[in-house]
Amino acid sequence: MKNIDRRKFIGKAAMAGIGLAGAGAVITSCKRKTEVADLKLPPVLKGAPKGKKLRAGLIGSGDRGTGAAINFISSGPDLEIIALADVFQDKIDACRQRFASFNLPIPAENCFTGFDGYKKLMALPDVDIVLLATPPQFRPEHFLEAVKMNKHVFLEKPVAVDPVGIRSVITSAKKAEAIGLNVVTGTQRRHQEDYIATYIQVMNGAIGTITSAKAFWNQNHVWYREREPGWNDMEYMIRNWNNFCWLCGDHILDTHVHNIDVINWFMGRHPEKAIGYGGRARRVTGDQYDFFSVDFDYGNGVSSHSMCRQIDSCANGTGELIMGTEGYTNCQNTIWDLKGNVKWKFEYPKDENGNQMETILIPPYVQEHMHLVYAIRTGNYVNEAEQTAISTLTAIMGRTAAYTGRAVTWDEIFKSDMDLGPQTIEMGPVDMVFETPVPGTSVISNVKPLYKGQII
Amino acid sequence: MKLISKSRKPSGRLVRFWFIFLGICISIPLFYTGNKLLKMTSTDEYCMSCHIHPTADQSWKMSTHYNNKSGVIVSCSECHLPPKGHGYFFAKAKHGIKDAYGFYFKDSTKIDWEKKKLLENAKGFVYEKSCLECHRNLFPVTLSVNGGNAHLLYTTSTDPLSCLNCHLNVGHYDRNAAAHAHDTSFGITVTSNEPPFAEPAKVESFESFTEMIPGTRVSFRMIALPAGSFNMGSSEDEPLRDPDEGPVRKVALPKFWIAETEVTWDEYMAFFRATSSQGRTEGQAVSTKKTDAISGATPPWGAPDQGWGRGSRPAITMSWYAANVYCQWLSQVTGKHYRLPTEAEWEYACRGETVTPYFFEGNPKKLSSEGFLKKLFGPDTSLIGSRVVYNVNSGSKTMEPSFVKANPFGLKNMAGNVAEFCSDFYSPDFYKADSTGINPAGPAKGQEHVIRGGSFKSDAKDLRSASRDCTKTKAWLVTDPQMPKSKWWYSDCIDVGFRVVLVIDSITGK
Repeated sequence: MKNIDRRKFIGKAAMAGIGLAGAGAVITSCKRKTEVADLKLPPVLKGAPKGKKLRAGLIGSGDRGTGAAINFISSGPDLEIIALADVFQDKIDACRQRFASFNLPIPAENCFTGFDGYKKLMALPDVDIVLLATPPQFRPEHFLEAVKMNKHVFLEKPVAVDPVGIRSVITSAKKAEAIGLNVVTGTQRRHQEDYIATYIQVMNGAIGTITSAKAFWNQNHVWYREREPGWNDMEYMIRNWNNFCWLCGDHILDTHVHNIDVINWFMGRHPEKAIGYGGRARRVTGDQYDFFSVDFDYGNGVSSHSMCRQIDSCANGTGELIMGTEGYTNCQNTIWDLKGNVKWKFEYPKDENGNQMETILIPPYVQEHMHLVYAIRTGNYVNEAEQTAISTLTAIMGRTAAYTGRAVTWDEIFKSDMDLGPQTIEMGPVDMVFETPVPGTSVISNVKPLYKGQII
Repeated sequence: MKLISKSRKPSGRLVRFWFIFLGICISIPLFYTGNKLLKMTSTDEYCMSCHIHPTADQSWKMSTHYNNKSGVIVSCSECHLPPKGHGYFFAKAKHGIKDAYGFYFKDSTKIDWEKKKLLENAKGFVYEKSCLECHRNLFPVTLSVNGGNAHLLYTTSTDPLSCLNCHLNVGHYDRNAAAHAHDTSFGITVTSNEPPFAEPAKVESFESFTEMIPGTRVSFRMIALPAGSFNMGSSEDEPLRDPDEGPVRKVALPKFWIAETEVTWDEYMAFFRATSSQGRTEGQAVSTKKTDAISGATPPWGAPDQGWGRGSRPAITMSWYAANVYCQWLSQVTGKHYRLPTEAEWEYACRGETVTPYFFEGNPKKLSSEGFLKKLFGPDTSLIGSRVVYNVNSGSKTMEPSFVKANPFGLKNMAGNVAEFCSDFYSPDFYKADSTGINPAGPAKGQEHVIRGGSFKSDAKDLRSASRDCTKTKAWLVTDPQMPKSKWWYSDCIDVGFRVVLVIDSITGK
């Protein structure tokens, strides 16, 4: 009661608007429109609507950042990238060159290097939107600054690597909401038309009541960099960020968060507790695990089994599966009954030659930017930061359960003061211990702020 | 409805007309004057015409709700009445009647205004709905990290949490109010110029002695109590007792020393200065093992002494855990074995061989201020007032030990001033479970620990020697902005402290 009362003012109307728009765009044939509107789904768009020119700055101009920037400009008319920030000059150069090759030059005076480059970029008054695509360690700080400087935000997932960061993101999300800054996150499955259609089926009872779930992201090994002469500790770690927990959050966050987010979405809640295993068998650099297996307990006997692995030559694959009392679904496009007969399948569009396609027309990476621009230009407010923060924290809860061997509850992880990484971020030597966590050892368990400075 | 059924007759129609016409004639001026009356009785001037007690006017004008950079003035009735539509009229009538009664029948100078400022009392006349009526955005862009964490806690907490828990003094400025900042300079100033004690007290025989903390000018009395047995608990015919105080059982205790007073700020600050740690992870688990270096409390948030002053006032707001680490540290620097008292030791010390509800003469029923008639006429406090610091004579804060006379054992403030930690876990059924009664140490397992003795906030009922209570960890940390919450300081408990005991067998070779 108390919470409902208090939150009355925060964007109920806005959410309803988005839901309606989503309903209209997704399934014009659906007879139960009011119910679909209640699901608060993002719109599925063919392109962002026309409107006032929007200028974006990219923070973190590596491969994903550059990709996000291209996704952004291709999502609709009158969209520009006008500024870049990155810790490294070479990353900026590569990104600028890429844009120059599209005949879309980015002025050199709008490109900023160093750890405070983002501040200089956000101080530019012409920048309306910032795309935050650095390693997730830096996301909370960047998001907070963006809200302070009145920028709309595209927030790449995962949104933080530790609970201190998660709480910062949720707080910033609420600040953004209060002043009407739109935020779209990079959990793109929520913007994928086939997932959305399947979600509507499930919410209309196609599989009955959900009883269990499975989420998996098992893949080959991922990239790593070996240290080159002349790189100091900090430079090495940031160039090899995908292999250090304090920068990346481990791959249960980096990639598997997509699947975890889908399960949270379909369940309509986050888990209450996690117990899990993990280990490091074949990784070459850094301090992270290369496999996890976590049981997320959603209460009332409902669990989701989460797996993720980055090892070659294994039974690999990614996706989700949700089991209900009357059937099951892969969440993406198909619903089966309990005997394995297909009950429903999403109809993909046909290509120019009339052949049935196997994917949706507009990539979800572009769709999410269409949504952001749509929200800004039409006033249908969107803010996905909190929901993605919750899913990221779910992954952190699973990671902590595996690292420590302990059962980790939601309350414990939500309130934890785990704050990974060095106190000050600067180029040079870094005084940190790089132990790979071993479950059940005293590294973790004796004092309450379990992890700080000990697991990285 | 009746009129409608009558209106079938022609004369009924006329009656109906006049009824409505007169109704309108009467209600327009009534409505008009009523509204005017409502407005008139809600102006600040009207409020201030009666609320002339010290601080009300001035402290409001100095508060952020009057004296702020935006120039907005928040009126009395905007906080002290709920918003319209949320019980406004009922509250206005209730407070109006109460205030009128107070104005005509009570002496304003005799009202304990300090007591009204306490959180639990303030909640009765400041409306949270009114806070939220204006403060609609709990997450302004300028909100700090700690503010964000606190408001996140507020919006997600299932425990009752009110705006006032953190923002008690925003409507009336209080110079002594705990500042909402991390007080890193806490305990750094040292004032004494006298040479510090070089050695702790040497104890040759079982007599009362003065302990000295080496390296400081701080000393305190330890009183030797003879071995003995006593009836622990209260019999069923004791007025105002609670069921957890029985059944009465005979408990035997060996001789021991107990501190004459509750641990003072001077004593606690000696510990804090010697051991305080900056990081929050450096604390160690309570253990009986000897340790080389004890890592103590982190700097507190705000002012743990509530601005009442330190010196010989009892130290407060430290956690049960911190009190134990204090004992460890004290043992280390004095070469003795100090610890918290067990519940049995505490009651034995408090009773001082008396078997009555208090260690002085008095009937709890007559001394209690609870109940309607007592509120009107007040209890007789001539004797109790010189023995105990409690809600009638405390001015809502702790007092120095010199304020009261000692009990038959020569101990001060056992019954009041601040409640005291014991080492036992609390269980309401323990008296039933413990049949041996030989130096009992409480249940083996539990969640919360026993606290004993009333405090400056207590009614006479809770000052009885047998009265029991326990720590409430969750409630006492409810507004702590840190996550996880401090293990050294309670953010929301200001009336519990502790005293130390020293046991005979710990002095080896004697």
